[in-house]
Amino acid sequence: MADQPVPIAGPLEVAYPTRGTFLEWLHSWVTTVDHKKIGIMYIVYSLFFMMVAGAEAMLIRIQLAIPNNHAISPEMYNELFTMHGTTMVFLVGMPILFGLANYIVPLQIGARDMAFPRLNAFSFWLTAFGGFLLYYSFIGGFGLYGMGNAPDAGWFAYAPLTLRSFSPGHSIDYWAAALILSGFGTLGTAINIIATTLSMRCRGMTLMRMPLFTWLLLVVSGLTLVTITPLTAAQVMLLLDRYAGAHFFDAQAGGSPLLWIHFFWVFGHPEVYVLVLPAFAVANEVIPVFSRKAIFGYPAMVAASVGIGFTSLAVWAHHMFTVGMSAAGNSFFVLSTMVVGIFTGIKMFNWLATMWGGSIRFATPMLFCIGFLFQFLIAGLTGIMLAAAPWDWQLHNSYFLIAHFHYVLVGAIVMCIFAAVYYWYPKAMGRRLSETLGKWHFWVFVIGFHMTFDTMHFVGFLGMPRSIYTYEADRGWNTLNMVISIGAFIQTIGVLIFAWNLVYSYFYGEEAGSDPWDAWTLEWATPSPPPVYNFATEPEVRSRRPLWDIKHPQDPDWKYEP
Amino acid sequence: MSEQIHLEPKGMVGQHIAMPEPTAWPIVLAFGCTMAVAGLLTSWGIGILGGVLIVAGCVGWFCDVLPHEKHEEVEILDQPIIITSHRALVERIQVHPRHRAHLPVETYPVVSGIKGGIAGGIAMIIPALIYGWIAHHSIWYPVNLLGGAGVIHWRNPSVADIAAFHWQGLLVALAIHVITCLLVGMLYGAMLPMVPRHPIVLGGILAPLLWTGILHSSMGIINPALDERIAWGWFVISQVTFGITAGIVVSRQERVPTGQSLPFAARLGIEAPGLMHSRPDVGPPRDGGKH
Amino acid sequence: MSTVPLFTDESWQMPSKGKVAMLSLIIGECGIFGIFLAAYIFYLGHNLSGPTPSILDVPVFNTVCLLSSSLTIWLAERAIERGEIRKFGALWGLTILLGLEFITGTALEWYALIYRDGLTISTNLFGTTFYSLVGLHATHVVVGLVGLTTIMIFTLLGKVRQEHAHRVQVFALYWHFVDAVWVVVFTVVYLVGR
Repeated sequence: MADQPVPIAGPLEVAYPTRGTFLEWLHSWVTTVDHKKIGIMYIVYSLFFMMVAGAEAMLIRIQLAIPNNHAISPEMYNELFTMHGTTMVFLVGMPILFGLANYIVPLQIGARDMAFPRLNAFSFWLTAFGGFLLYYSFIGGFGLYGMGNAPDAGWFAYAPLTLRSFSPGHSIDYWAAALILSGFGTLGTAINIIATTLSMRCRGMTLMRMPLFTWLLLVVSGLTLVTITPLTAAQVMLLLDRYAGAHFFDAQAGGSPLLWIHFFWVFGHPEVYVLVLPAFAVANEVIPVFSRKAIFGYPAMVAASVGIGFTSLAVWAHHMFTVGMSAAGNSFFVLSTMVVGIFTGIKMFNWLATMWGGSIRFATPMLFCIGFLFQFLIAGLTGIMLAAAPWDWQLHNSYFLIAHFHYVLVGAIVMCIFAAVYYWYPKAMGRRLSETLGKWHFWVFVIGFHMTFDTMHFVGFLGMPRSIYTYEADRGWNTLNMVISIGAFIQTIGVLIFAWNLVYSYFYGEEAGSDPWDAWTLEWATPSPPPVYNFATEPEVRSRRPLWDIKHPQDPDWKYEP
Repeated sequence: MSEQIHLEPKGMVGQHIAMPEPTAWPIVLAFGCTMAVAGLLTSWGIGILGGVLIVAGCVGWFCDVLPHEKHEEVEILDQPIIITSHRALVERIQVHPRHRAHLPVETYPVVSGIKGGIAGGIAMIIPALIYGWIAHHSIWYPVNLLGGAGVIHWRNPSVADIAAFHWQGLLVALAIHVITCLLVGMLYGAMLPMVPRHPIVLGGILAPLLWTGILHSSMGIINPALDERIAWGWFVISQVTFGITAGIVVSRQERVPTGQSLPFAARLGIEAPGLMHSRPDVGPPRDGGKH
Repeated sequence: MSTVPLFTDESWQMPSKGKVAMLSLIIGECGIFGIFLAAYIFYLGHNLSGPTPSILDVPVFNTVCLLSSSLTIWLAERAIERGEIRKFGALWGLTILLGLEFITGTALEWYALIYRDGLTISTNLFGTTFYSLVGLHATHVVVGLVGLTTIMIFTLLGKVRQEHAHRVQVFALYWHFVDAVWVVVFTVVYLVGR
């Protein structure tokens, strides 16, 4: 069969017939309720903050590259690691997953928009303004060190450091208030995604025929409902303590800082799964398409995702083995944490079984997903190590812990975000990202990643604790820290290549056509970029891979599916 | 081979679809909320501005959706989509019925292993007791060697001590012996089908010899006191007695199928188009006969 | 040649997006209430000084009013479903009155606690947790009352018709939630914790 060119008249021109003036263009974005435009705004917003938080990480690494360094002041250092963590979790991880969900979910389920388009716009702007308010504290926040005092109590903001007596001024208030705002934005989007996936599916799209990406985003949104709200509640308590003189976390009046730690991690641990499940979701789409095989064990994948969702609600205190819980409490949280390993193991084997015997194409999205599989395995193994309480007592809050969670957050989540951008950019922009630059990006980034985070495990073993400003030269950490910093620098180069690729390919990239990857889900049945209404006629599906059915009429999926 | 399918019917072009109208009120409301919260951090004026914006945003939004949601008509563009793949050839994984060697089609039930373990355990007592009688004129000697840990007050016991009767030693030895025999019996039951030829020779003689070798090299670390006193020749004899007895008992049991002969996907209960065969009897779910 | 949309099945029904969204919101709200309840229970008996929960009077009448408002709003839902707009308006108004009674009762209770017993949010842990938990619920009642009143105004203007039954029912879910949560708060604060 000949490879026929797909006749699509210049997609960019068709979708936006008149560009108009700059103001008109701006107005169209600011007032939009189109899920695709909102999705793109989410993603651009979070990629911007990814650069910002990455720059903060670079400053941290410059400070730690050599012993007894004073490249930045200790006060600045505290602000940097606090803002790096807060930004990466709340302004990068969450928005980008909601951006992807916004863009992809309605297309994948054959809908014309989200269930509540205006709520969608509201949620985005609330999240966005929350982020800007947080960063305004660098200019306008008054704190212990005078004006321009950004939050500096760590991204977990442990009490009693956050109370008025230890953090005067408003720096902590900026942290709490901005996150409450973006928290409500998150809640709105999560509700929207749930309503969309449950109520807007096209004909024939039963729950067990939904693409796994959509399934996982449904699980993530459900998890978000019960994850972000405890944080909002705890932050309201913190503000009550600071403004109204309440005593929730005030030990001098009988309050308990320990309660904050519990509340924070009741949010904080499921949050990790809120971030990592979308990464799994991307892998679920990319790996089958580039292996030319249907996903292996679809029901097992769904069950494992739902299982992770529920289990993650009962593991929070594994962040707290060192606070001195009872033996029964420790044992419970050790065991419940290890149960998570079973579900992720199921997923791991399903991805491997999908690739097994497949005809794999090593395009850039697939490269990132393979990197993800490899790095997530290691991250999971160090996770199992830290889940054992005695091991955790030894290494808690050391660089080993930092290395472990960065392996998850960078090695798994960021890698999958890159994969997702390379995979869906042609759909959103009508042009492919450059494969050459993409491969450079992948290899440079992976090399930098392993230099940085593999080495971090070893400084952790050697006893280097997290969040320290500097260290003495005789600790034996010098060379390793230098290697870590060089790795961070190499990663930065990788990310810059990526940023350049995004801009360059927008103007000069290869025309994508509607279905550049020969994929199977409904979003590839629309023009690139899709028109406002997505589908002129409502599609109907009969199997999990509707486009496969059309492409292979002699051998459609519904012959085999239950 | 692939059939080309046009997603956009020509007749739709030029018609209109109602989509939600763009509106500025969500951003106004969001900005109002932000200002209201920022008022807490900065000054009351900003808080009041936030409050005003919130009220304006709520009212504006309300007018957008009530009594009817505002829509704009979007014209359907002529963007034909051809869904086709140049990879039209579907390759199915071919599995020859005999292309399988590693997993047994039939196996022994777990119960047979337990039976073998019981029989072997009883059989191996005999050479052990004979050894005790011949070497130290006491049948309790080997019992205490095995269960000596149960006799709490022992500090460097003499041979006479070991040869005497101790009820704690007997109990501990019994417990160790019973558990070990059952476990090893189950292991034999599971492994015998994997050694296809001369099962009794391999499972009954070679395996006990290997096992003894491992113990011989490691016993000095695990239990030095036992290591000093053990008579390895007799040890091998009782192990082999166990192995042969258990092997004979297990191999005389009925075999049961493992389910290996079923298709892989069927055993997992999952959908795997490449591995399962098409069901020509089942038609498409809602085939309007339009093909 | 075949086209993708094959509209042969007219029975393709999806759950109502409004109800799904409201139920999701309610699940999220449960998270917020759960944390405040956890704090209340955690700090029971941890007071270093000042008043303790034994000073509370059990607000039986308030509770009866709020819970019966769930019944009236349910009757109102049924009325609008059948198109009996006048009956709907009357029952809806009754619901608002019951809600107002509840919030007034809470205000009076707080007034007495502040000026008679000297209990404020900064007095001790009991004040902190009590005012935040009951205040959180009262905030939800106020939000609910604003919504109820808005719908009431439109009813009086004659803009509410039978076809709005679904939207009214979605909103009523929220009010049912506010009532249900009061059962939990009431049990914890006034029955178990006292």
